[in-house]
Amino acid sequence: MTVPVIFNRKLVRYHRDRAAYHHQTIQDIVQIGADRLLERLDDIQRSFTDVLEIGGRGVVAPILQSKGMNVVSGDLSHRLVSINSALSVCLDEEYLPFKAHSFDLVIANFNLHWVNDLPGSLLQIKNILRPDGLFLAAIPILPTLSTLRDVMTEEEVELCGRVFPRISPFPDLRACATLMQRAGFALPVVDKEELSLVYRSAMALMKDLRFAGETNALMEQQKTFTNKDFLASCITKLQDQDEIAVPLHFAVLTGWGPDSSQQQPLQPGQFSVSLEDALKN
Amino acid sequence: MTEQSSSPPIDPRLLSVLVCPLTKGPLIYDKEKSELISCNAALAYPIKEGIPVMLVDEARHLTDEEVNKYK
Repeated sequence: MTVPVIFNRKLVRYHRDRAAYHHQTIQDIVQIGADRLLERLDDIQRSFTDVLEIGGRGVVAPILQSKGMNVVSGDLSHRLVSINSALSVCLDEEYLPFKAHSFDLVIANFNLHWVNDLPGSLLQIKNILRPDGLFLAAIPILPTLSTLRDVMTEEEVELCGRVFPRISPFPDLRACATLMQRAGFALPVVDKEELSLVYRSAMALMKDLRFAGETNALMEQQKTFTNKDFLASCITKLQDQDEIAVPLHFAVLTGWGPDSSQQQPLQPGQFSVSLEDALKN
Repeated sequence: MTEQSSSPPIDPRLLSVLVCPLTKGPLIYDKEKSELISCNAALAYPIKEGIPVMLVDEARHLTDEEVNKYK
């Protein structure tokens, strides 16, 4: 099966390389996102020893290390992964370079949304997990950046008469759930969180997106210079409101490497208590 | 060839879990050249500043002769 190429992975890598120079600027947002994701670990009683974290931007690895875990950090960008103090590997999420059953915890912090072959990546993650190992990820989902998308589409149609794709087609919650199931994780859970972000100026928002390495990396993007009037009118339109609310909606994905020690569903008809009795009590 | 001497040796813990991203086959660590060799894919992945770069785009293609040398 051929995988549709939606994202220009070279561009994603270039954006992340550039983001490495500015990682301090957006550290606060990354920290809050990482905290929200990692607090899930506090609800889990079992301990983890060997951990792979992907896309942690120097924030995730120290938290895990402070919990006494052996951490390997991975990122598509050599520059961005080198800000980690943990063991680091420059890697492509679509071609993970690890042996099967290498880790008992894999964490992907807001970086799987630039992957073309997401089902393939998840399958590989499942393979490098040990039985009963945990996969934990945060992925931005719709309607993240919808304010920006709406304004840009509207203005571009009006001024230029056609629309170039500018905002990443994020998955929705349901797609995430399907993906987890398809990859064959045991006990998959997907739920939604929201991080409220409010900007005073449109330029500040654009700057943060750039500093985060989250600017447009779509294959079908405009290859020529963007119309100056179009950008100006987008900014004016965004500035109409005093505050620009751009909430980050994200899905938290959890799934386990299948293991016989986990609870298994019964076969149909294989029950000892009748539903009728259970409802009566 | 500037990376040869500057790249610190790779951590054995990391080495024990790494495989070729393309073939998932084993890698040979060439300390001198600071490269990880995948014979099956005939590729040499560079190690920059102690960080293995496991990207197919960045890997050096090996000739049959070179591959045979590692086998």
